[in-house]
Amino acid sequence: MLRYILKRILQFIPVFLGVTLILFIMQNVVPGDPIKLIAGEKKMDPQTEMNIRAAHGLIVTDENGNIVFDEDGNTIATPMVDRYFNYLGNLLQGDLGTSYQKGRAVRDMIFEAYPHTVQIALVAIVIETFVGVGAGIISAIKRYSFWDILVTLTTSMLVAMPAFWLGLLLQLIFGIWLKDATGGAVALPVSGVPGPFPQFPAWSYYILPAVTLAAVSTAYTARIMRSQLVEVMNQDYIRTAKAKGLSKRSIIFHHALKNALIPVVTYIGMDFGGMLAGAILTETVFNWPGIGQMTYVAITQRDWPIVMGSVTVIVFVVMIINLIVDVSYAFLDPRIRLGNKSEK
Amino acid sequence: MQYPMSNMGDQPGAVAAEHHAVADKSDKPTRTLWGDAFKRLRKNKLAMFAVVWLLVTILVAVTADLWVPQVLGDPTASDTATMAANSRLAPSLEHPFGTDTLGRDVLSRVIYGARISLTVGIVATGISTIIGLVMGAIAAYYGGIWDTIIMRLADTFLAFPYTLFVIAMIAVIGNGIQNVFFAIGILGWPQIARVFRSAILSVKESDYIDAARAMGASDARIIARHIFPNSVASIVVYATMNIGGAILTESALSFLGMGVIPPDPSWGTLIQEGQKFLQTEPWLMILPGLAILTTVLAFTLLGDGLRDALDVKMKDA
Repeated sequence: MLRYILKRILQFIPVFLGVTLILFIMQNVVPGDPIKLIAGEKKMDPQTEMNIRAAHGLIVTDENGNIVFDEDGNTIATPMVDRYFNYLGNLLQGDLGTSYQKGRAVRDMIFEAYPHTVQIALVAIVIETFVGVGAGIISAIKRYSFWDILVTLTTSMLVAMPAFWLGLLLQLIFGIWLKDATGGAVALPVSGVPGPFPQFPAWSYYILPAVTLAAVSTAYTARIMRSQLVEVMNQDYIRTAKAKGLSKRSIIFHHALKNALIPVVTYIGMDFGGMLAGAILTETVFNWPGIGQMTYVAITQRDWPIVMGSVTVIVFVVMIINLIVDVSYAFLDPRIRLGNKSEK
Repeated sequence: MQYPMSNMGDQPGAVAAEHHAVADKSDKPTRTLWGDAFKRLRKNKLAMFAVVWLLVTILVAVTADLWVPQVLGDPTASDTATMAANSRLAPSLEHPFGTDTLGRDVLSRVIYGARISLTVGIVATGISTIIGLVMGAIAAYYGGIWDTIIMRLADTFLAFPYTLFVIAMIAVIGNGIQNVFFAIGILGWPQIARVFRSAILSVKESDYIDAARAMGASDARIIARHIFPNSVASIVVYATMNIGGAILTESALSFLGMGVIPPDPSWGTLIQEGQKFLQTEPWLMILPGLAILTTVLAFTLLGDGLRDALDVKMKDA
């Protein structure tokens, strides 16, 4: 097991280098000078501009931090390869660079934004687990009933609709129509995080964004749960349990569900990794200050240190979660042995 | 007499159906894989409904130039003289989906949006499928170092947060419809490559491949004529479902203002424009969303139907 984990961690390295390298090449071919964008429409003082470039390591400096000029008195752009290695070197020291636009350490900005993404992901996972698993079980044990058809229809539709559109619909229904219908007495907040406006309780801010984020995954969870339970219910050991005269409830909850849940748990785990990657669209629609929205805004402003920093963190987190899911798979299902037999 | 294939046992026409089943039996052996699949697909009501819906959508989108501007109004140009009077009208007989801020007919814009969405879905899926097939074939057929490089590259692409990757790609190459094709197309290849690779690996050692090689067939010919037909069913299913995904991605990009360039109408752009009037004219946001929902749903149902009809085993998704 330990060898398997080590092997997986070693496999991270090329994938991680690949992702960061692709992103690094992208930012170097993108049109527009990010430093010029800082000043916007205004003209920047050449000396200030030079200092900013030097501070971000975009032009060559000597050991004392003085800018190096060539024979014609021009600054020398740092070669891309050197910058990539600088990025990797700084990363090993926990330094993710400084934002072009805000002039703040990217690490601090991520520390501020990430909790918002994690909070909403946790709420969404709770919704996904309870609603998805519940709907899947009902639909499997009452196959071809009204409830089964309802679940199948709803899940098909949830998978086919754009998440941002669902978010807007929820805002319309719970933020506007519900408010109008109750004369302003009952409504849910449609954007932002719990803040200085006390007209809504803090927890209510999570509802609509979390439901939007959870929608598609809940649909998939319900589908996987249903198909797994249907498959397990057809197996011999369930027939044996029936022959023993066990009640249907006891068969489902004590025998069938344990096996049927394994792929569902895996899916939910992987999905949690995906949610921690930040939901750009959901966060944008609900003006939720998470890492997805931050990265999206940074891309539009060509603020590459933020983009590099957050993608670095996201890819890292997703890989760790996926590894944990794979390892826990072996614990949940003793039939699965990771790696070679000799490792056991 | 019991016919397991008859699933309408308790309906009034059951007896007639059984007679048909007998008649069907005689010509059964002559069927091909695709003939059989088509027969099964025709029995799948949901899939047939999806086919009809898609055919109607395609027909309307293709013939739009012939009648939409005359009947409903121009989708992009707005008449400045009547703009104020026609701005954001509620749905009526004349304008079934109402009008937008610039007085343009929204149904007309939704129909022209269908052109963009369908084209993006099909072209982007085409690009990913071609790249995926080539990559998958190289990885599986040549194996060794090629397999390692290509599969690690696929892992890298899949490790990227997808939406973020597409947006970053658009930031690099700029928006506009060709770039949307390219960005969505180039990011979608790893799944197809994996499917084709495992399909090749499962038949690569078969005797008939050895026989073909012994007869002097080239690698390219073996892949194209002997291996590809064996896995085409699963690729068709994946590609059909992929089209829906590509349409969703395009709508998200256009919603963020990184897709098609206005005034061209994309469903995502229409939702983004409608978002501003959520409180007063909610249909501006609802109706284009319904267009996306029904079209993507139709591709998903068709994909499901094809999967069952062609008896393709899907590992995930």
